[in-house]
Amino acid sequence: MRSISSFLSGLSLGRRAVGLILPLLLLLGWQYMSTRGASFAYAFSSVSQMQDALRELITSGDLQLNLAASLQRALTGLAIGGTFGLLLGISMASSRLIDTSVGPLYHILRQVPLMGLVPVFSLWLGNGDTAKLFIVCLSAFFPLVLATYESLRQVDSKFLEVGNVLKLSRAQQFRHILLPAALPNIFTGVSFALAMAWLSTIGSEILFNAGAGLGNLMMNAEMNARMDILVVVTILIGIVGYLLTFVLYRITAYLFRWRKTSSE
Amino acid sequence: MSIGIRAAIGLNRVAGRVNYRQLKLAAFISPVLLLLVWGWISHLQLISPQLLASPLEVASTFQELLTSGELQEHLGKSLSRLVLGYSLGASAGLLFGILMALSKNVEALCAPLFHAIRQIPTIALIPVFILLLGVDESFKIAIVIKASFFTVALAAFEATRGVSVNYLEVARVYRLPWTTLYGKVIIPAIFPPVLTGLRIAFARSWTVLVAAELLVADSGLGQMMQMGRDMFRLDIVLVGVVLTGLIGFCIDRSFKWGEAHLVRWRVA
Repeated sequence: MRSISSFLSGLSLGRRAVGLILPLLLLLGWQYMSTRGASFAYAFSSVSQMQDALRELITSGDLQLNLAASLQRALTGLAIGGTFGLLLGISMASSRLIDTSVGPLYHILRQVPLMGLVPVFSLWLGNGDTAKLFIVCLSAFFPLVLATYESLRQVDSKFLEVGNVLKLSRAQQFRHILLPAALPNIFTGVSFALAMAWLSTIGSEILFNAGAGLGNLMMNAEMNARMDILVVVTILIGIVGYLLTFVLYRITAYLFRWRKTSSE
Repeated sequence: MSIGIRAAIGLNRVAGRVNYRQLKLAAFISPVLLLLVWGWISHLQLISPQLLASPLEVASTFQELLTSGELQEHLGKSLSRLVLGYSLGASAGLLFGILMALSKNVEALCAPLFHAIRQIPTIALIPVFILLLGVDESFKIAIVIKASFFTVALAAFEATRGVSVNYLEVARVYRLPWTTLYGKVIIPAIFPPVLTGLRIAFARSWTVLVAAELLVADSGLGQMMQMGRDMFRLDIVLVGVVLTGLIGFCIDRSFKWGEAHLVRWRVA
């Protein structure tokens, strides 16, 4: 996010126009491949075909249906997995007992690639929405535990000393000092968890080929060799992912506008 | 990178005042407890054994796969894809990232397309790659290249950009030749963040390769797990899960070891 905006602001208009050369070349090359005959048109659908595909997807309502399903899955997963992640992170940071007993297990389980768990969950939970949601929850859960834990542990000891001087109870210390100090960093963790949730939503939809979702739409298009639909949906996934991060970034910037942005 | 992101991906470890010997023993408590509970539940047979293989069963399946040579074959296939794709993608990404940071022209030309494609999750590109490249080896290697290239390129780009102007000014004052400038200033300066980028790129490549193998493959760890799923052999699936986790863990640790030990001059 940062590198893009700093990149755009640092360039003159002419320089920015130079950046369009490569995408245009890519587009022309693609278009050229699509006119080279039937065997190429199979994989390289022309730009007009993609426009048609987009129109077709919108008028039939397929796009809206699947987009809504994917978004809902990602956000529900973030809400559920994120809440548990937050709670575990807080308890690990505030209790030595929980930290030493649960911590190692957490770090072991974190290493397993989530997509590798798909076969296990499909045997346990079936191929439906439950299994997909579970994977999305986990993908949001793991990064947020770590982010919460580390952010709370990294609160400046000066703040805690003030709390000691004021003789705050542990709950007061947490409510009035630890949480406000750690919250901005925790929110960066949330944006990371959101990106992971979106990614694993698409991944799980591709791997569990049942139900609604952008991933399922793509797999169906792949089976029917509809490259036009595939390209449209892939680009859409990128845009939605970017927008989700962007919206959260703006919300964070608004919520923590009282804070110096020195950490960036 | 801000602290939150660094924390989320596990870069910032707080070294508290902890009794490490005590901690090392305590670290085994929860994993061992998990194994015991797992063994106990499967012993009770509340759930059909097809859905919950006991730890012993998983171990014997591991032995079985090992003696039949099946496991080595799958593992070798997966690892060779990973190594080939990762070395291609990471080295290209490294060069490209540095180049883009040093040259304004390259940046103006490539950055918009680069950032646009970077936004698309690799896993979402799997179907497109299948249509373009078929389901053969080239598809899996291309997926790994995509996953590693963009992550490493971004890390190298931001690291080179972040080289302090002071260093370059000192180098200019001393009229260092450019070989010394690169060998002694720029490369050592970008080494730590690039190493971190390499580690994250590795983790992403590994995940996405397993996903691609789950989807379409005739060999590899992912395919072995998929086969286990189709045959309702949870023990085979779990052997795969443990192995993929273990491999990811070991390589992640060796990168972290490198971050801690190869960068000796850096004061943490």
